[in-house]
Amino acid sequence: MRIVIAEDAALFRAGLARLLEDDGHQVCAAVADGDELLAAAAEYKPDVVIADIRMPPTYTDEGLRAALELRRTRPETAVLVLSQYIETRYADSLLGGSPAGVGYLLKDRVADVTEFTDAVSRVAAGGTALDREVVGQLLAASRHADGLRALTARERDVLALMAEGRSNTGVAAALVLTLGTVEKHVASIFGKLGLPASESDNRRVLAVLRYLEP
Amino acid sequence: MSATGLAAAAVRAPFTGRARRELLFCLLGVPFIVFLPLAGFFATALLAAHAHGTPWAGRGNPSALAIAAAAAVAVLLTVLLVTTGAARGLAAAPRWLAGRLLGCQVVAPPPPRQARGVLATLEARLRDGPGWRAVAYLLLKVPVALLGGYAAGVFWAAGLVNLTFPFWWLEFRNHPASVRLSPVPVVTPFDWIGQGHFQVTTFPGTFAAFAAGAGMLLTAPWATRAVAVADGWLIQRLLGPGPLAQRLRDLERTRALAVDDAAARLRRLERDLHDGAQIRLATLAMNLGMAKKKLGDHGDVTDAEAARELVSAALQGAKDALGELRELARGIHPPVLDNGLADALATLAASNAIPAELTVSVPVRPTPAIETIAYFCAAELLANAAKHSQANKIKIDVTERAGVLVVRIADDGRGGADPAAGSGLSGLRQRVAVVDGSLDIVSPPGGPTQVTVELPLRA
Repeated sequence: MRIVIAEDAALFRAGLARLLEDDGHQVCAAVADGDELLAAAAEYKPDVVIADIRMPPTYTDEGLRAALELRRTRPETAVLVLSQYIETRYADSLLGGSPAGVGYLLKDRVADVTEFTDAVSRVAAGGTALDREVVGQLLAASRHADGLRALTARERDVLALMAEGRSNTGVAAALVLTLGTVEKHVASIFGKLGLPASESDNRRVLAVLRYLEP
Repeated sequence: MSATGLAAAAVRAPFTGRARRELLFCLLGVPFIVFLPLAGFFATALLAAHAHGTPWAGRGNPSALAIAAAAAVAVLLTVLLVTTGAARGLAAAPRWLAGRLLGCQVVAPPPPRQARGVLATLEARLRDGPGWRAVAYLLLKVPVALLGGYAAGVFWAAGLVNLTFPFWWLEFRNHPASVRLSPVPVVTPFDWIGQGHFQVTTFPGTFAAFAAGAGMLLTAPWATRAVAVADGWLIQRLLGPGPLAQRLRDLERTRALAVDDAAARLRRLERDLHDGAQIRLATLAMNLGMAKKKLGDHGDVTDAEAARELVSAALQGAKDALGELRELARGIHPPVLDNGLADALATLAASNAIPAELTVSVPVRPTPAIETIAYFCAAELLANAAKHSQANKIKIDVTERAGVLVVRIADDGRGGADPAAGSGLSGLRQRVAVVDGSLDIVSPPGGPTQVTVELPLRA
């Protein structure tokens, strides 16, 4: 994959580039602010951009704004936003109706290298990678508290992993279950919550997130 | 300042904007000399006449009754001035002028208390402290404005006129020798109606007048400045919002500063953590994650070199993060401060870039908050000195005097520290003001610099 990184902390930026290159990807550019990110995205037309939220010059949300701009102008480019904090509001504006090709993860997640590179690949393939903190906040604030209460503890775990954007295989790996068991759980969840069953992972994530929307 | 510098400043003084504004202030005070006594006189006479026929119609001295009536009317007038709010209204003009021309900003006092009913309103108005102080100011304004008019008229105007003597003398006094003209009087501060001993009769005499004029113009700015300063002092004392209201205002201001300061410090702390230790730890975790992957779950390691390199990068990252966290924690509260100011300052002085000599003699220990403020003031002042002063030696002196902690920091550097220019010093001053302390800087260009911080022992 061709990747552009935007991150203002030089050490972290270099480490991230190395991690992705070790995983066999091509880092076309590693820049330090939002404007440079947009310029690099226009120049290299990468498959994925990985952007920090808080960057110069204002150190507020220029990375997020650049990511939203990219979503608008180059929807074929997948966007993975990294941050040291999780803000549900940022997640909302980033998902903006469609979770296809979007990711929002805490920087800490980079430490689990395989999981992180999986998330990058998933986003690049048009999937979703939501941090479990975001999902936790969504679950806590959901207006469907009754519906969620009807789920078993295991089913809640599966729902959370689905909301993070994982496929059945991914859920099975994370919970150390067989694929069949996961499929059974998924079917049960969709039945209990009254969600339409869906073949595509993307539409499934969308349905789950819609359901969890506060 | 050198002698030539002083002389140059003295010669320039009459031409500075400040001198012009002070002169204008004195001139604009002149109407008060005329207006206030005249108005008082006529109002008194009118009211007294109304009450007792015509008291001054007869010849000779006024009768005892007339004097009593006039006195009663004067008191009545004063009361009227206060109760109608006229005194406050009249006082607004000099307060505004002082703000515009003297840079002496005095806030208007709060409006008089509102009350229901005629009697209650009257009582409230009679108890209107700012109104009474305004009357006192107006009474004092008359002699002050007289002095101001004198300074403006005699020093400035007459000084200018005297300068002109040599230029017109030959034009107007080229009379034949047989004609005797009366001598021209010269107005000086010693002889201010011009009927005294200084008179010019011949052309060479005009140069004496010229010299007198030059001398008067050189002293003129100081004469008007003395009057303006005195008037400004009166305005601050009498036309401001009273001591309690002023205190309230100060407390409101310093509270706002304290709240802003606390918020700003938290923001800075978050920023330091976010950009420092936090990102270092994230990088370190990433390096360890990569190393773990290279090491694999079991068996032989294919790329041991890379794994080793990643682990040592992670180790370095951990050390850096530790150092950064330690600095940050010390910045929040240096642990040694718990042992007292003396120990904390000794540590500070020992690690200072410029050799610092410390003497502490504080028999009563201040409260922790005061110690913390004193410590951070000293730390910032030492850091400032190291950055800007080019000093070779610093003296830190901490004493206690009548319930006040005095921290004096003096260096032998090049001076020129200006609290108006650097935000650091003004920030310190604000932080000190929150606990009613003060920060005083003496730092002439060329040095040396001495900063005195005074703090109450308990906040």
